[in-house]
Amino acid sequence: MVAAEADAPLEEDFEMAPVRQAPWRMNLRRLMRHRLFVLGLALCGIVFVAGILAQVIAQTDPTRLAMRWKFRAPGVDGFIFGTDNFGRSLWSRVIWGAQLSLYIGFSVVALNAVFGTLIGASAGYFRRIDNLLMRVNDALMAFPAILLAIAITAVLGPSTFNAILALSIVYIPRTARIVRASVIVLREMEYVQAAVAAGAGHWRILRHHILPNAMAPLIVQLSFLFAYAVLSEATLSFLGLGAVPPTPTWGNIMAEGRQYLLEAPWIITIPGIALMITVMGLNLLGDGLRDVLDPRLRIQQ
Amino acid sequence: MARTGWAPYGLAAAMTLAGALASTSALAQAFKCPKVGGDFVFGQEANVNSLDQMTSSTISTRNVSMNIFEALMARDENNNAITDLAESFTESPDGLVYTFKLRQGVKFHNGKTMTSADVAGSWERYKAKANERQILDNVEKWETPDAATFVVTMKKRQPTFIEFISSFSQPIVIHPAEFKDDAPQQLRTVGTGPFQLVEFLPGSHVKLKRYDGYTPNTKYTERTGFGGYKQACFDTVTFRIVTEPGARVAGLRTGELHAVEDIPFVSVAELKKDPRITILPLENWWVHITSANLSQPPTDNVKVRQAIQAVLDMDEIMEASTDGNYKLNVGFQYPHQASYTDAGKETYNQKNAAKAKALLAEAGYKGEPVVLLTNKDYPSMYNAALVMSQQMQAVGIKAELKVVDWPTSVQMQLVASPSPGWNFFFTGYGTQPALGALATMNFFMGTNPNYKPKPGQEDPVLKAEWDNMNQKVDPKERQAAFVAMQKRILEQVLVIPFGSLTKVQGARANVVGYKPFRIPRFANVSFQ
Amino acid sequence: MWGVALRSILGSLPVLLIVSLITFGLMRLIPGDPSAAIGGLSATSEQLAQIRKELGLDEPLVVQLGKWYAELLQGNLGRSIMMGQDVLQVTIIRLPVTIALALYALVITLLLGMGSGIIAALRQNTVVDQIAMVLAMVGISVPNFFLGLLMILLFAVHLGWLPTGGYIPLWKDPIGWLRTSTMPALSLALLQMGLLARITRSTMLEVLRQDYIRTARAKGLPARLVVTKHALSNAMIPIVTVIGIIISLSISGAVVTESLFSIPGMGQLLTQAVLNRDYPMVQGGLLLTTTFLVLVNILVDIAYALLDPRVRYERS
Repeated sequence: MVAAEADAPLEEDFEMAPVRQAPWRMNLRRLMRHRLFVLGLALCGIVFVAGILAQVIAQTDPTRLAMRWKFRAPGVDGFIFGTDNFGRSLWSRVIWGAQLSLYIGFSVVALNAVFGTLIGASAGYFRRIDNLLMRVNDALMAFPAILLAIAITAVLGPSTFNAILALSIVYIPRTARIVRASVIVLREMEYVQAAVAAGAGHWRILRHHILPNAMAPLIVQLSFLFAYAVLSEATLSFLGLGAVPPTPTWGNIMAEGRQYLLEAPWIITIPGIALMITVMGLNLLGDGLRDVLDPRLRIQQ
Repeated sequence: MARTGWAPYGLAAAMTLAGALASTSALAQAFKCPKVGGDFVFGQEANVNSLDQMTSSTISTRNVSMNIFEALMARDENNNAITDLAESFTESPDGLVYTFKLRQGVKFHNGKTMTSADVAGSWERYKAKANERQILDNVEKWETPDAATFVVTMKKRQPTFIEFISSFSQPIVIHPAEFKDDAPQQLRTVGTGPFQLVEFLPGSHVKLKRYDGYTPNTKYTERTGFGGYKQACFDTVTFRIVTEPGARVAGLRTGELHAVEDIPFVSVAELKKDPRITILPLENWWVHITSANLSQPPTDNVKVRQAIQAVLDMDEIMEASTDGNYKLNVGFQYPHQASYTDAGKETYNQKNAAKAKALLAEAGYKGEPVVLLTNKDYPSMYNAALVMSQQMQAVGIKAELKVVDWPTSVQMQLVASPSPGWNFFFTGYGTQPALGALATMNFFMGTNPNYKPKPGQEDPVLKAEWDNMNQKVDPKERQAAFVAMQKRILEQVLVIPFGSLTKVQGARANVVGYKPFRIPRFANVSFQ
Repeated sequence: MWGVALRSILGSLPVLLIVSLITFGLMRLIPGDPSAAIGGLSATSEQLAQIRKELGLDEPLVVQLGKWYAELLQGNLGRSIMMGQDVLQVTIIRLPVTIALALYALVITLLLGMGSGIIAALRQNTVVDQIAMVLAMVGISVPNFFLGLLMILLFAVHLGWLPTGGYIPLWKDPIGWLRTSTMPALSLALLQMGLLARITRSTMLEVLRQDYIRTARAKGLPARLVVTKHALSNAMIPIVTVIGIIISLSISGAVVTESLFSIPGMGQLLTQAVLNRDYPMVQGGLLLTTTFLVLVNILVDIAYALLDPRVRYERS
C-alpha cells in the first residue's frame, strides 16, 4: 500500500517510449470503450460526488460530540453508518473524510505535476545538472517511503498541510524520474533535433516539442500516484501523523476506531471500505489511461 | 524488635500501626506456592526499551524490573515505607544519621552474596546517573562500617528522606557493586529479586525465570506492596508486548495471554460474562489533569482561567476520556489515602456557564485563542481536550486543539517561561499521587513543568507551603501545608484536575494470587 | 560482471552520502527531544534537563554532525538513547527479523503473485483471468494496516487459528515462527502479490506474442514446455528487477505491520525511534536500512546482467 510508490518505477518500464499522441478526442472515445476504466470512473465518481457534496448530504457536524448516542451500530437509531465512541455520526465523518482525503490526494498530485515535471524536465534536458538532481533524487528514493514521510511529518508536526508536503517530497522524485526518462528519449528525436538546428530556444523546445509528448506517461503516473497518496495519507493519519483530529480523514477515523475493534468493528471497517473503493477506482482509471495512452500496449490489443 | 514499618511523613501518623501489624504477623505461616511451575504470559501495553530501573521512570520498565530488582526500602500494600533488602534501620535523634542493617544471605542472580559494598555501589550509580538523583542531594556521605551495615549521613535534617528513598517511582535498586559505572539505560540486569532475566527482545518480549537462590524476607509471611515475603511460583514469566488493545483482549479470551493490562472499558462488559476471566479494575490509576500556561495570554489572566474552570462539566470530560470508567475526584490525592483533602472543592465541576461568562467579561476577554495542547498517544488525554474545547466554545471562548505526539507536547510545555504556543497541557499524574502528597506537589516545585508563572511572578504562598511540606518535623503540619497548597493551586487554577481514571487489568480465572500493585507483581502468583 | 558491480557500488556512494545528510538534518529539526520519551509520563523538568545534557543534545548542530561523521568513519553509529545499546548491534538483531518476514512475504508473493499472473496470461480474457486480475486489483487497493486488523479479527479472534501476535524467532522454533509470521507476511504480501501478478501477466503476454514462442508452438512443442522453457525464462528478466523493489516495499510495509503485530524488526524499531526522538537510532538505523536496500539493488543489477548478457549495463 503505502509502499505502493515503488509501483512507479514498475510502471515506468512500460512508459519508456513516448510517441506523438493521438488526438485527444480519439483517446477519450477509446477510454469510454474501456470497460474497467468506466468502472473506475464510476467508483471514483461516487466518492468524488460524495466528497464534493458533503455539506449537502451529511449535514450533521462530523466533529460534534453527542455522548448519549455513542457506539450505535450501522442502521440503529437512524445512523446509516452507526456512531463512534463520541456518538458522532460515521456517515458524516466518512463523507467529510472523503472530502479531505481526496483534497490531500489531489494536492499531492498537483504538486507532483508541477515539481515533478520541472525537476524531471530540467534533469532530462539540461544534462549538466542531471547528475546532481538525480543523485538527490536517488537518495530520496532510497529511503523506505513511509519512513521518510513519517520522519518529515515528525519534523514539521502533524497537520493536513504537512501531510501533503511530506507525501509530495516522497513522491516527487519518482514522478521526476518518469518525466526525465521521457524527456531524454524525446530530446534525441529527429523533430526535436530539427527544432534545435532551426535555432529554437530551450524554453520553446521544451514547451512545444518535448513536454506535450511526455504527458502520456505523466498522466498515467499521476493517476496511480493519486491512489498511493490517498493510501499513504491514511497510513500517516493512522499513525497519528496526518491531519489533526478531530478533523475526519479516513485514517483518523480508523485510528480512533482501532481501540474498539472487537466491540464496534464498524468504526474501522466503513472508512476502510471507502478507502478501498477509492483506491481501486483510481487504480482502474490508471490502468485504463495506460492501456489507451501507452502506444506500445495499444498496438498489442 | 526492629522497626520494619515506617509511615511516609506526608501520610497520617496512624499509619505506623500498619508496620507494627506486619511485623507481628511474622509468627504466622509464611506463604507457600499452591502450585509450582508453568510459563505465565502477560500482555503488556507498551514497549520496554530498557530494564534499567534506575534511569527509567516509565511504567513499562517498572512492570518488568520490579520483579527482578529490590531496594533497601519499599512501600507496602498501604503505601507505608517498609524495609526490603534492609533488615532494619534506625534514625539518630537529631535526624542526621540513618543506619541500615542489611538482611543476611541475600544473593544476586549471579550467585554473589549482597553486602554493604553493593549498596554503596548502587547508591553511587544512582547519585551519578538516575533521573531522580536529586533525592540524594541532601546526603552528606555514606559509609560501610561492616559488610552488613550501611550508614547514611545527611547534610541537614530532612524528615521526608525515608519517604523519598522508599518511593517506587525510581527506586534505588541494589545491583552488584561492580556495575556502578554502567551507562544510563544499560544497567546489567542482575538483581536480588524473585525472578531473573532470561531473554529481553525489545519490541517483542521479555522472559524471566524463577531465581532458585532467592532469599525471601522472613519478617513477613505475605507479599505486600513491592516488599514482603516474596516467592516465585512460575518457572517462567513472559511479558509479551501487545500494543493493539483488541489483540490484548482477544489473547486474554483465547487464553493465549494469562493476564493483560489496560483493557478498553468497552470490552469489560463482554469479558465479565466469561467465567474463565477475572476483571481487575485498578481504581485511581491517575489524576486526569490539564495544566495552565501562566506565561501566555489569555491564560496569564487568573479570571480567564477561573472562567474556564467554572464552565467545565467533569462528568462529560471523564466519560469521554474513559468510556465511562472513572470517579469524580477533587485535588491530587484519593479518598482512600490518609493525606486526601477536598480543599478547594468549590472550584471543581461547577458547570456554571453564567459565572464563566461574567468572569470573562470581567477579564475583558476578546476572543483570543486558547490552545489546548494534547496528544494522540494517550487517547484519554486527547478525548479530554476534545470535550473541554467544546465546553469552552459553548461560552464563547475560542478554544483550539493542538494535537502532537506525546514527546513533542512534553517538550513544548517544558520550554522555560514564557512558554509559547499553548495554553493548556494535558497529562496525567499517575505514580506520584499513589506515592503521596509530597511526590505529587513536586510537580509544582521550582522549575517544575506544570507550574509556569511569568518570570518574577512566582506565587509566594505556593513556595512557602512547599517548604513547610518538606521541612516541618510534625507530620500534621506537613499535611496542613499540603492542604493549603492544594487549595491555592485550585483557586489560582494552576492546573485543573478532571477526576480519577480507572485502568482495567484482566487475568485468567485459573491464576491464583494475581493482584497488581498498580504494577503487576509475579511473586506469590501461581496457576491453580 | 565485476565491472557492473564496481560501477553500481561507486554510483551508490554519493547517494549514501546524501542519504546520511538528509537523515541527520531531518532528525535534528524535529521539535521535542528524547528526554521526554526517556523520562516518561511523570518526569519533572529537572530530570529532563539532566537527560538532555547527558545526551549531548545541548551542543551546536555542526558539532553534533561532525561528531557523528567522525564516529561513523570508525564504524561507530552511536548508542540508541532509548535502549542504551549500540545502534549497530541493535540493527544486527532487528534487521534479520524484517528480512525473514520480507522473504516469507516474497515467497508468498512469488508463488501466488507470479502463479496467478502466469495463469491469467495463459488464460487471457477468460473468467480465470478476470478473477485473478480483480483479486490483484483488490490487493493493491487495501491498506495493509486495515488488512492486518481484519485478519486479527477473523483468524485470531473468531476462528482462533492463529495467535494474535507474539513473535517467535525463526531459528528457535520454525513452526512457531510460521504461526506468528503468517498474518503479518500475508498482510505485507497482498500488495506485492497484486503488483507482481499484474506485471507477470503483461510481461508473459508480451513474451507469448514473440516470434520465437510462436515458432516453438508451431513446431508442435508441448504447451507446458513452451511456457516453462521459453516463455517463463524470458519473462523472468523483468521480474528479477522487480524483486529489489519488492524487498524495498516489504521494508516500507513493515513499518506499520510490525507495529500492529508486535514484531521486533526494523520497521517497528525505526517508527518507535522517530516517535521517541532517538536520534542516533533513527540516523544509524535509517542509514543501515537504506544501505541494505542499495546493496539489494546492486545485487539485482548484477543478477540482471547475468541473466541477460545482451543488456548493455547503463544507469542514467
